[in-house]
Amino acid sequence: MIIPRTIRRFKERREFKDSPYAHLFEPYKGDEVVSLDCETTSLDVKKGEILSIGAVKIRGRRVITSERLDIKLKPPASLTGDSIKVHKIRASDLADGIEIDEALEQVIEFVGNRPILGYYVNYDIKMLDKYFRPRYGFSLPNKAIELSHVYHDIIKWKTVGGDVDLRFDTISKKLDIPIIQRHTALGDAITVGLMYVRLKFGAPLAD
Amino acid sequence: MSESFNMDNLPFSLLSAKEQTLLNNNLDIAYFQKGETIIAAGDVPEGVFIVLKGKVGESDISDTSEEDSSESNVFVHYQDEDYFGGWSVLNGKAIHNFIAVEETICHVLPTRTLMDLIHSNPLFADYFQQNLTAKREIVAQHGQNQDMAEFMLARIQDGTIREPLIVLEGTTIHEATRMMREMKADCVLAKKGNRYGMVTGTDLLDAVIIKGMSLESDVSDIASYRLITTTPQDYLFNALIMMTQQQIERVVVMDGLELVGIVELTDVLSHFSSHSHVIGLRVERAQTIEDLREAAKGLTDLIKALISTGVKIRFTMELLAAMNGRIIAKLFELVIPHDLKPHVCLIVMGSEGRGEQIMKTDQDNGLICRAGLEWPEMAATMNTFSETLISFGFPPCPGNIMVSNPEWVNSTGDWANKLTAWSQKSDGESVMKLAIAVDGKPVAGNAALFKVARNAFLRSLRSNEIFFSHFAKASLNFDTPLTFFGNLKDKGMLDIKKGGIFPIVHGIRTMALEHRILETNTFKRIEALVEMDQMRAKHGENIAEALSLFIQIRLKHQIQRVEESEDGIDPTPNAIDLQRLNKLERDLLRDALRIVKDFKKHLASRYHIGS
Repeated sequence: MIIPRTIRRFKERREFKDSPYAHLFEPYKGDEVVSLDCETTSLDVKKGEILSIGAVKIRGRRVITSERLDIKLKPPASLTGDSIKVHKIRASDLADGIEIDEALEQVIEFVGNRPILGYYVNYDIKMLDKYFRPRYGFSLPNKAIELSHVYHDIIKWKTVGGDVDLRFDTISKKLDIPIIQRHTALGDAITVGLMYVRLKFGAPLAD
Repeated sequence: MSESFNMDNLPFSLLSAKEQTLLNNNLDIAYFQKGETIIAAGDVPEGVFIVLKGKVGESDISDTSEEDSSESNVFVHYQDEDYFGGWSVLNGKAIHNFIAVEETICHVLPTRTLMDLIHSNPLFADYFQQNLTAKREIVAQHGQNQDMAEFMLARIQDGTIREPLIVLEGTTIHEATRMMREMKADCVLAKKGNRYGMVTGTDLLDAVIIKGMSLESDVSDIASYRLITTTPQDYLFNALIMMTQQQIERVVVMDGLELVGIVELTDVLSHFSSHSHVIGLRVERAQTIEDLREAAKGLTDLIKALISTGVKIRFTMELLAAMNGRIIAKLFELVIPHDLKPHVCLIVMGSEGRGEQIMKTDQDNGLICRAGLEWPEMAATMNTFSETLISFGFPPCPGNIMVSNPEWVNSTGDWANKLTAWSQKSDGESVMKLAIAVDGKPVAGNAALFKVARNAFLRSLRSNEIFFSHFAKASLNFDTPLTFFGNLKDKGMLDIKKGGIFPIVHGIRTMALEHRILETNTFKRIEALVEMDQMRAKHGENIAEALSLFIQIRLKHQIQRVEESEDGIDPTPNAIDLQRLNKLERDLLRDALRIVKDFKKHLASRYHIGS
């Protein structure tokens, strides 16, 4: 797994040319982005398991919350005390969760070949890939948009020296975006979507 | 589900869980830059917008074409979960521009979903489509202010109506007393022909002990045939007001011409936890000024009790006006020598005269006396009267409209002449004095003196169009601020008297004067105007509702300020602190101010007032 992502994507695109998933490898031509977030049991991709997946489409300057994905999964074995403190999801909250296979189908269906937006989005994509690869034989080929990079690119000109504070709460405060529901997958996806729209279309940031 | 949308606010809280899910599933979130047009006049809007963050201004189409900065033409601002565009959606087309005043994030509820909700939920539809009156009704039943005390709205028929003890003409006092004891009744109705007369225990005692009548006398001879009656549909609360005003302890319930029964004070009191009548009784029984002062002290607590239980503001005002009136009248009786009473009449004016004061506001009173009355101590006595009222907690009038000021002590003829003279002058002071004076109401002494003067004045006014036009103009003096939401940052204070209360009160006053309506209370004046077809019922209702909303909000703020201040004095009685209003109050206030604005337009055209 040390092949760079771009090369791998290129290789897989050819391999799956005739499969039902070929369209996922097409370059995206539209103006939509999907903001996606996963709640997991651990921040370590190797150990972590997915609890819930939330996603919304962003079309132009709108967060299309009426088109969204709000998936709860069956409680995994690794759902224990520590992570529960962060996301506040207990096993009983996932009682009517669905199987991971079905969840992945829904994700593919919803996201298509649109770019995926997220806050530390690579973590979410890697997490999904961990499940995708064994089942589909490929990783998510979508272009990734990292919110904190978008933010950083805009804010860095104003910050002389020093590091830019990229914490979620700081960004939301700077952008004056209300945090919809911290630590629910869908809530974070919506919040990130709003931040993105704000950064893309809003007035230049105040100091 | 995404819970980014707050369902706790009206009208969305009216939706069922299933409908809320439908709503949630169809909401989008839109982002707008400062200055961006969200809905343009003439457009078909895509739905209703609910502000999540930011601020949106609504402005007139005609205004935007002008070169003025768009800011100054904005007449309403929306923010903090306010919704807008509802009217445009229902009418298919927007007539105003909605522009983001600052960066704004809105939830968008698409028209199709809105229509679905309107069809499935009639209450939601009502709230969305209706006027202020209907909204307030829904709020009263389903809103956050659910503390409206049910018992205050109880009707006579819901309370205890006692079966009357009826005796026929010719029954002796002895027999009647025996029957009363047997039936455990404390009054009896004597039937004479087809009329009923009331005989109370006190009447029997008076007849036998004081007047020395024989026990065999006909009980119908001592009955009082001028019965104070009410109907089964009337509010129990009104019966209490009636009892307080008339100083009686029972009223007869009549359904048309049919006798239904009797409502007793004790029964009404058992319905009300407040102690209004207790204060009333203490006022009546006061023998000295000191007694009266003690009784008057209880009023402030009573007001708070009534407000906190959410009694309708109109009823509270009526009750308190009756109580204040009794206190003033009683004091007058205590101060004025008995033999002078038929020759003088004490009138209260301004808000007191209209019966619309709640917290004790400035005393506005005057004296009318018979022409040629010789009473050397008058000035001194009137001074004592005013001073004592001040010591009771009725603040002195800053304009010095008090009986201690000789300008407000007049003979009937002088009084009528003064009013006429003011009506012929056009300076602001005359208009204000006249406005205060025409709300005058007699509270003690000989009311006939007042009526003579008033009628003489009304005759002099007959069809003087110039006067009415001039008089009405004062109600347009102050701007009605619909954009105050934009000024939240400055100070967030709204003068509700100038912006809302005065235009209504004065406009209605003018119309009432024109049509010779003798009522002084604004609500009753409105009712009378509607009855005379001078105003449409719906308009009247809306204006009355707006006025009571203003008064209610103002009162709430007054009580808050009095409680917070150290000396119990409220230096800004008419200021509304906009930041203290909740979302619902702001919503209603905005609707109410719109009504005022429309009413002012109506006044301007009716009385040909050019701006």
